[in-house]
Amino acid sequence: MSAVTDGRKKVLEAIRAATAGSASRNGGATAGTAAEGHVDIPRDYVRRGDMAVSARQERFVERLKEYDAEVMECEPNGLAAAVAAQLAASGRRRFVTPEGLPPEWLAPGFEWKIDGNLDISDVEQAEGVVTACFCGVADSGTIVLHHGPAEGRRVITLLPDWHLCVVRASQVVETLPEYFDRCREQGTGNREQRARKLPKLVTWISGPSATADIEMTRIKGVHGPRFLNVILVKD
Amino acid sequence: MSAADHPILDPALAPPFPVAALPVLRNVQLRKNVAHAIDVIQAKRARLVEEKTDWQALRAAAAAIKDETLENLGGYLEQFEERCTAAGGHVHWAADAAEARRIILEILREEKANEVIKIKTMTSAEIQLNPFLEAAGVRAYETDLAEIILQLGNGEPSHIVVPALHVNRAQVREIFARTMGIENLSDDPMALTAAARNYLRQKFLEVPTAISGANFLVAETGGVAIVESEGNGRMCLTLPRTLITLAGIEKVVRRFQDLEVMLQLLARSATGERMNPYTSLWTGVVPGDGPQNFHVVLLDNGRSSILGRKTERQTLRCIRCAACMNTCPVYRQTGGHAYGSVYPGPIGAILTPQLEQLRHAQSLPFASSLCGACYEVCPVKINIPEVLIDLRARVTDQERHTAGKFFDPMYVGLRVANLIFARAWLFHFAQWAGRIGAKLVTRKDGWIHSLPSVGAKWTQTRDLRGLPAQTFHEWWAERKTASQQVGGSASLRAGDPTLSPEKRRKDGARDVGGSPPIISPKSGEQDGATSKEAR
Repeated sequence: MSAVTDGRKKVLEAIRAATAGSASRNGGATAGTAAEGHVDIPRDYVRRGDMAVSARQERFVERLKEYDAEVMECEPNGLAAAVAAQLAASGRRRFVTPEGLPPEWLAPGFEWKIDGNLDISDVEQAEGVVTACFCGVADSGTIVLHHGPAEGRRVITLLPDWHLCVVRASQVVETLPEYFDRCREQGTGNREQRARKLPKLVTWISGPSATADIEMTRIKGVHGPRFLNVILVKD
Repeated sequence: MSAADHPILDPALAPPFPVAALPVLRNVQLRKNVAHAIDVIQAKRARLVEEKTDWQALRAAAAAIKDETLENLGGYLEQFEERCTAAGGHVHWAADAAEARRIILEILREEKANEVIKIKTMTSAEIQLNPFLEAAGVRAYETDLAEIILQLGNGEPSHIVVPALHVNRAQVREIFARTMGIENLSDDPMALTAAARNYLRQKFLEVPTAISGANFLVAETGGVAIVESEGNGRMCLTLPRTLITLAGIEKVVRRFQDLEVMLQLLARSATGERMNPYTSLWTGVVPGDGPQNFHVVLLDNGRSSILGRKTERQTLRCIRCAACMNTCPVYRQTGGHAYGSVYPGPIGAILTPQLEQLRHAQSLPFASSLCGACYEVCPVKINIPEVLIDLRARVTDQERHTAGKFFDPMYVGLRVANLIFARAWLFHFAQWAGRIGAKLVTRKDGWIHSLPSVGAKWTQTRDLRGLPAQTFHEWWAERKTASQQVGGSASLRAGDPTLSPEKRRKDGARDVGGSPPIISPKSGEQDGATSKEAR
């Protein structure tokens, strides 16, 4: 399709003409080096926090609650009981989970659907979802999902109205940049090789779905889950 | 709102800013709605920015990240294209709005789509996508709550983050009750939100094609990020079979890690939250999760022409947080529709005329008091006043050369001034002549309250200070002689040089304990007598 390539050529030529003289890596041949050119960015902002572990956990809980998430803390050996208690307290029966959750989380007495490739309508009918996560960020009360095993496809944490997320204290970092450091630590080799190991899917969740579109009144629950419950495991 | 008052957000058709602002200035309800919304966001933003001790460092990093990306934009876009394609996405390039619309329609035709669901995207409003799709037989459903309000109520966006902030709950209730056919709908925002949820739920589950914008494109990975609150974005990014993302070419950042700066700045600036409820990032097509057919349309539409200009390039750093309009004293009074573009407020005042390559929207760079509040809050440090002044100069240059402006009093006046200021002897002569002339119109209080003929326009809302009996040169020479005699130095003190006591009261400014006497440079010589006024 020549029209398509024409648009590409036109846009790139206009950009090249506009940036001529200002760019070092503007040639197509050297485009692949973009990931390495980060010499001149002043990064004087707080990259690593300095809070003690307990203070960091407290901050995480406080910030989650501030955005209407419910938080429960437990010891590692009390986790299965905590999950069961949360499920019971929710008053819901039908739950969906991703593959890869520890079987002891799937408390008896509830209806469980394990998502491999469930129909959307099955997911839609679930009243709640239970997952783990990749990371928690204390500074903003954020839970990060990479949608790997135990976190599940994006749709399962979207359609059910109630999301129970288990976060281990060791997964909680203080600042957002620390989360990005953890992502880079996943890969090995040079920057280029590590770049290929970066997550393909990420969802940062900070409290339940919300809107303030009508007179700036914050309303919890529009299209995403209306309820976000978190169990913080003090491991 | 009557049809005549319906706001026009097409820069090619919209009336100039002062004309477009009039209906809003007369609409008390609208101004109240705008002021309320802005006050709420501003207060939330201020609190959260304050708690961030490294705010200025984050701003500096964000500006540098964006600058570096823009400098090498061609390379980064190609890298994005390569990585996104490798991950299973399709990348298209559109030089202008028409091309972007054509590409999107082609994809929709291939999909045999007659309906699409949309995530709020100002870029699609910029290219006027919805009316185009409708004419082509494709029904577009907006899914952001504010966009639903506007779409069902046949309204226009007045803000880039909270597009319906000019509509209050009673008006939303009326729109929803009428268009959704709900009787006994309450005007409680909770009930209204629930109505929108029900209205859209089936659409999310059934419509197989979605259109989105983008907050960030990551060159390093080929990923795309979208920042939202309601979950309508996640629905559109997850459920459909096909996803089309329309993104301005300036949305690209170099590295995944750059998001650690951008995400911290964006939510705090936009909605006064530490993080918005949902941020999604996806890379091409992920088997088994989300749309299996993914297209990105990279849109130029005037952006590369901004890129080529040294002062104006910073406009493209914008991450569309709207903090500038929330803080702008002009926007506060006029709301967004007066800007005649989907991009209102200070950023709109610089972005729109540039996207239009100064063929339209020439009045916008003048819709500012240059107070600088927008620059102060901008998370990517766009010096908006600097760009405004540059654009004013370009508009003036353009206007100067159009027929009929040669004898325009302003241009005649400026040419005369140019002549005088360039020659010292003429300048001194003009000062002498001016003092004589000014005496005729100066009142006893030392101020000129009204000028004759074309000057009357100026004095309609301002006073002009009468010319002092002595010029600065004369005073300086005299003072030098005097201080040499005394052996010390006198200091120059002046009161507020812009407002006479009379206009101060007219403008409703606070008058504390009687207005301080305005002192001329001459009285400043008597140091002791004036020191108590100079605060």
